[in-house]
Amino acid sequence: MKRFSGQTIRSSRAHLLATAFAAGSLLAAVPVSAADEVSQERLLNVQNEPGNWLHHHQNYSAHRFSPLKEINRDNVKNLKVAWTMHLGGVEGGGIWSHGGLEGTPIAENGFLYVTDGWGSVYKIDAHGGRGVLVWKMDPKTDHDWAGAVACCGVDNRGVALWGNLVISHTLDGRLIATDKETGQVKWQRNVADPDKGEVITGAPLIVKNMAITGVAGAEYGIRGWIAATDLSTQKEVWRTYTIPGKGEPGSETWKDNNNAAAAGGGSTWVTGTYDPATDTIIWGVGNPGPDWDNAYRPGDNLYTDSSLALDATTGKIKWHYQHTPNDPYDYDSVAENVLVDLPGPNGPRKLALEADRNGFAYAIDRTNGKFVWGLPFVKKVTWTKGLDAETGKPVEYDPNKAVQTYVASVTPSRTNMETDICPGNMGGKNWPPTAYNPELKLWYIPVIESCNRIKVEVATPDKLKPREFWTGGGPSQPFKITGSVTAIDVTTGKIASKLETPFPNLGGMLATSDLVFTGQPSGEVTAHDAKSLQKLWEFNTGGGVNAPPMTFTVDGKQYVAILVGLGGAWDKWFIDSTPELKKIQPGSMLYVFAL
Amino acid sequence: MKLNLLAASTPMLRVSVAALAFAMPAVAYGQAAQPASSDPTAAGKAVFAKANCVGCHKWHGNGGGGYGGDALSLRKTALTREQIIETVGCGRPGTGMPFFTRGAYDEIKCYGMNRQDAGAQMPPEGGTFLRQKDIEAVADYVLAHIKGAGEPTYAQCVDFFSSGSRVCDIYKPKEEKPDTTASMGKSQ
Ligand code: HEC
Repeated sequence: MKRFSGQTIRSSRAHLLATAFAAGSLLAAVPVSAADEVSQERLLNVQNEPGNWLHHHQNYSAHRFSPLKEINRDNVKNLKVAWTMHLGGVEGGGIWSHGGLEGTPIAENGFLYVTDGWGSVYKIDAHGGRGVLVWKMDPKTDHDWAGAVACCGVDNRGVALWGNLVISHTLDGRLIATDKETGQVKWQRNVADPDKGEVITGAPLIVKNMAITGVAGAEYGIRGWIAATDLSTQKEVWRTYTIPGKGEPGSETWKDNNNAAAAGGGSTWVTGTYDPATDTIIWGVGNPGPDWDNAYRPGDNLYTDSSLALDATTGKIKWHYQHTPNDPYDYDSVAENVLVDLPGPNGPRKLALEADRNGFAYAIDRTNGKFVWGLPFVKKVTWTKGLDAETGKPVEYDPNKAVQTYVASVTPSRTNMETDICPGNMGGKNWPPTAYNPELKLWYIPVIESCNRIKVEVATPDKLKPREFWTGGGPSQPFKITGSVTAIDVTTGKIASKLETPFPNLGGMLATSDLVFTGQPSGEVTAHDAKSLQKLWEFNTGGGVNAPPMTFTVDGKQYVAILVGLGGAWDKWFIDSTPELKKIQPGSMLYVFAL
Repeated sequence: MKLNLLAASTPMLRVSVAALAFAMPAVAYGQAAQPASSDPTAAGKAVFAKANCVGCHKWHGNGGGGYGGDALSLRKTALTREQIIETVGCGRPGTGMPFFTRGAYDEIKCYGMNRQDAGAQMPPEGGTFLRQKDIEAVADYVLAHIKGAGEPTYAQCVDFFSSGSRVCDIYKPKEEKPDTTASMGKSQ
C-alpha cells in the first residue's frame, strides 16, 4: 500500500494541511464509517467485539483479559514475530536523557493506536500481516518544561477512542482530540499545569462523553486531582481534588501548621476503572508529599494512598479506602482497581482489587469501601507486621497518633534518618497493570521484589518551591532487586502460584483463557501457563520491556502486541539495583507476534 | 586551543543566537544582554547540557533532593576551579557524582586510587566522556554563571535555554506571567 505517496491528495488539500497542528499527519485512504465510531454502548460491551482492544485496561473493570483462543497453551511455543515497527520519541528533555515506552496499544477493526513517551500518536494499519503507518500526530510537547518536572520518566501510557476521535494526553498537560481518519488535531485543552509541577502520563478513561484525566507530580508539591472533560463542549465537567480543601471532610487529617495539604501530593497518574451499575469511577491516589518526612504533615493525610470512589456524573467522593495512613515510605495507591464480581450466598460479591506499592493486595467491597481481605504479595515486608483482619489497616496503625511510626526500627523518620525498607519505594507493584482471568478467578500481579535505603531530609516550608523536588529525602539502591509474577485466587484471597524472575516486572500482564503474557526489562517477552505460571514461550526483543502486552485480531487472525523501550523511572533512579540492565539501550519499537 | 573549541561548537552558537532574537525581552533584565556568541563560557554551557549535568544538578545548578538523592548545589559550592575539574573528571567516590574522564580509575588514578582501591566507593561512569578541554570549559561555566549566583532568575533561565520552551515562565516577575486559561479550549 502506498499511503505515503499521496502527494496529489496533499496538494489539493493544501489549505487544510497548512492549518494542521501536527506536522507529518497524512491522510488515510479508508473512509469514515459509522461502525467505526466508538460509543458508550460499545465501550460498555467490549465482550461483543473480542478482536478489538478498546479500553486502556481492556474493559471498564481493568481485567486485561482476552477470550481469544487461537493462541493457546498447546501452540504458543510456535509464536513468532509477525512484524515490527520503529517508533520515535526516544529523545530526552528536562532532566531526562531519553524517553521510553509504557503504553498499551488500542486495537480497533484492524488498526492500532499507540503512543511514544512524548505523546506522539501513531495510527497503524495491521491488515495483511504487516504494519503500515497511516498517520502520526506529533503534539510538539514542550520537552524542557515538562521533562524537568516529570519525576519518573518521559512516559505516555496510551490513548482512548471516542466517536471518530483519538483522545490522548501529553506530558506537558494537554488533552488532545485527533481525527481518527486524518490524524489532524481537532481540539486541545490544557488540563494540567507544569508550572505547578503537574504533568500527565496516564491514558484517558472515557466515561459517557467525558475524558477522565489523572495527574502526576506528588514529588513536586502538587495538590492532586481527577478531572472530567466534556468531549463535545471541551469544557471541564468536574475536578475533584484528592486532598480536601480547608473545612471539607478529611481536611482534619492534615494537622500541621505548615499548610502541608496545599502541596500534599496525592497524584492520580494511573488510569482508573468504572462500574456502570452504580455509575462509579474508582481511581487510585498516590503518596503524600514530602514523601519521606511524615512529621511535616501529621495526621492520616486523606485521600493520599487511598482508593477513591467517585460519582461519575458529579465527581463527588462516595467512599475512600486508605492503605497507608500518614505514609513515610512513598507507598502510592495509584494502582488500577480491578472490578470483580464473585458469586456469594447473598448475591454477587462486588469487589475492587488493588495491588498496593506497600506490598499488600487488597479486596474492598466496592459498594461501600469496606475491607474484605488483604495479603502480602511480595516476599519481604518489613514496615509492618501485617494487616488488621477487621479493618485492613497496618496492625501498628494508631488513629490517636499524629505521626505514624509502624515498625519504628525500619521506618524513615526524623529520629531514624537513614534506614532500609522493604518493599523499596518503587513498591511491590508500581504502575504496570495486573490482569484478571474471570474463568479461573486468578489475578496476576507484576511484582517488584525489593528493598531500598531511604535518607530523610527534614522538610521546612522555605524548601517548597514551584517545579523543585519536594520529597523530604531520597532513596538509594544498595540491594539487588528482582521480580515475580504472583497469582492470587480471588475466591480465597490466597496466593495460588508465584513465578520468580531475575528482574523486576516493569511491564505488566495480559491474561487469556489458559495463558498469561508478560515481559522483563532485560528484553524477554514470555507466555506462561495460566495456572502453574510455567514458562511456555519466550522471545528476546533485544530492548527493555517496560510496557504491557495486549492481543487483538485482524483478518480473523490473532496477534499479540507489545511496545518495547526501557525508560521510565527505573533506568535513571533505580538502575543500581539491577546493574545488568545498564546494558539495555534506549529504544522505541512495536513488536507484533502471531502463530 | 580556544579557537578549536569555538570552531567545534559553531553550529550550536548559531542556533542560540537565532533563538535569542526571539527572546529579546530577556535583555531588559540585564544579565542576558550579552549575546551567547561573545560569552567565552558558551562552550562550557554546551558541555553542561550535553554531559547531562542538568539531569542531576538542573539547569540552575541547585541540584536538590528527589529520587536521585541529593546532587549538591553548585550555586553554593565552595570548590575552586581545580577542585571542580577534579570532581568532574574523577567523580566523587561513594556518591552519585559520576566521573567524566575516559580511563579514570584505570590508566588515570583518581584521588590516588584505581578501580580496585576504590572498590565499593567507585563512583558511577558519566553518560559521556569529556576531554580535558571540555572539563575545563564546564568548570569555567560553573564559575562564571552558577557558583555564588544566588536564587535562579528569569534572565538566567532564558540565557540557559535560549528556546521557545515555557520552562522559564515561573521565574518571570508576576505581571509577566501569561494567562494560561487563555489557551484553553479550541485551538483551531
Ligand atoms: C548522575 C547525577 C549527576 C550528574 C550527571 C552530575 N552530577 Fe555532579 N554531583 C552529583 C552528586 C550526587 C553530587 C554530590 C556528591 C556529594 O554528596 O558529595 C555532585 C557533586 C558535584 C560537584 C561538587 C560540588 C561541591 O560543592 O562539592 C560538582 C562541582 C559537580 N557535581 C559538577 C558536575 C558537573 C559539571 C556535571 C556535568 C559534567 C555533573 N556534576 C554531573 C550528581 C551528578
